Amino acid sequence: MHPTEYAHPEALVETDWLEKHLNDDGIRIVESNEDILLYDTGHIPGAVHIDWRADLQDPVIRDYISPEKFARLCSRHGIAPETTCIFYGDKANWWACYALWAFRLFGHDKVKILNGGRDKWKAEHRPMTREVPKYPETNYPVPKKRFDKEIRAFFDEALTQSKGGKPLIDVRSPGEYKGEITHMPEYPQEGVLRGGHIPGAKSMPWKTATNDDATFKPADELAKIYLEQCGVKPGTDTIVYCRIGERSSHTWFVLTYLLGLDNVRNYDGSWTEWGNKVGAPIEKA
Amino acid sequence: MPAGLTDRMSVLRYASAMYPTKLNNIINLFETLPEDERRETLVSYADNAKKQEPREDEKFELVDVRKDEDCTDTVGVYLHVDENGKAHIRMTLGPEVQTLTRSMTAILCKGLEGSTPQEILDLPSDFVTRIVGSELVRVRSQTIYYVLTRIKSICKVYLDRQRMAQVA
Repeated sequence: MHPTEYAHPEALVETDWLEKHLNDDGIRIVESNEDILLYDTGHIPGAVHIDWRADLQDPVIRDYISPEKFARLCSRHGIAPETTCIFYGDKANWWACYALWAFRLFGHDKVKILNGGRDKWKAEHRPMTREVPKYPETNYPVPKKRFDKEIRAFFDEALTQSKGGKPLIDVRSPGEYKGEITHMPEYPQEGVLRGGHIPGAKSMPWKTATNDDATFKPADELAKIYLEQCGVKPGTDTIVYCRIGERSSHTWFVLTYLLGLDNVRNYDGSWTEWGNKVGAPIEKA
Repeated sequence: MPAGLTDRMSVLRYASAMYPTKLNNIINLFETLPEDERRETLVSYADNAKKQEPREDEKFELVDVRKDEDCTDTVGVYLHVDENGKAHIRMTLGPEVQTLTRSMTAILCKGLEGSTPQEILDLPSDFVTRIVGSELVRVRSQTIYYVLTRIKSICKVYLDRQRMAQVA
C-alpha cells in the first residue's frame, strides 16, 4: 500500500498560493537557476537571487561557503532564522532544490519549494518583474555547525555504501549511467576522465519524479518509483548522486520531503569526483 | 602575439587590431562597465536577439539550422555574402537557449556585420571573456562560445565551397 499523500506537503507551495502571498511577512522568495542571467531577465516580484556558484560555493576549494559567509548571505537578503525561504528556479527546480539543500546544511529548516518552479509560473502568465528588491538587513547568527553528517555524503561514505550493497541512486541520464557519455546531453564537458557508475547504484533519472509541467508526481507514483523500483526502504541509509550534486538534490528533496525518508544523503562530489578518483571502482552498462 | 609586446597598452592595441571595428567597439564598451551594468547590458542584448532573425525578403547562400549536443535548443545560422564579399549573419534561437547565448548572438551578429567570412574565421575567441566578464564565465556557461563556433562553422563551409568552385 503506497501513500496517497506527500509525507511533508507543507514543503511545497503551489503557484496559485504564492501569487496570493507575495507580500506576506516572514517569507522570502529565492530564485536559483542554471541560466546565470535568467533572474536579471525577470523574476517573481520580491524574489531575491542566490547564485549556486557565486553565493553558495567557496570560490577556491570545492566546498560550500563558511558559516560566516552563509550568515552574511542571509543577512544581506533580509533572511532571519525564522524566515521561511521559498525556493524556485529553472530546469524543474534543480538549483532551487540544491539551494534548499545547502540552506539545510547550515541548519536553516524553514524551507519550501515552489511546485513547478519558474517554468510553471511563467507558463501561467503570473507576474514577473526586473525590479531587484531591497530588504532591511538582518543579523543572521553564524551557524554553529554544518549538517554534513546528516544530509551530505562524501566519497568514502559512498564507497562504503557501494561495498555494503546499500541503496545508491544514480539520477543522471541513462547514457551517463552506462558510461556512454560523461556529461549530460546538451551540456559542455565538465571534466571527468572515466564514464560509468558507482557499483551497485540503481539508475533512476531525476526527471522520473516530475510531470511535464515540472511539478512533482503524486506520492503513490513516487513511492512506486523509489520504494519498488529502486529498493529504497524507510530507515535504511540512501545516497543519491549525479555529476555535481544538483540533479541529485532534486531527488534528495523528493525522498526526504515528499516520501518522508529519514536517512537520505546527497553525494555532491558525485561523478566529477568519483570518475576522476584514482582506483575508484566503476561499473559500466 | 609578437615578441616584445609586454606593456598592457601595447597588448590591448595589438588585440584591438585583430577584431572588426564594430566588434571592437562592443568589447571596449563592456570593458568599461561595472559588473551590474555589464549584466544589464548583456540582458539588453539578449532581449534584442530576436531582431537578428532573418527577414522575409532576405536570401542566404547558406543556412544551418540544427539542434546539437552542445546547446539546449535549436540554433539556426543564416549567411549571406554580398557582392563585395562581406558577410551578413542572421540567427534563430529556440526558446530554451540560455540568456548568455542570446546575448552573444546579438553581439556577434552586430559586431561581425560586414566582415568577410575569412576575417570571421580568423577571429580569436579570447574577446568573449572580455565581454562576459570573469564572474559569469564558468564551466557550465562555456556555451557562450557556441554561437561563435557555429558562425565560424558556416563561414568555413562557405569558403571551402568557394575554393572548390575555383578549382573546378
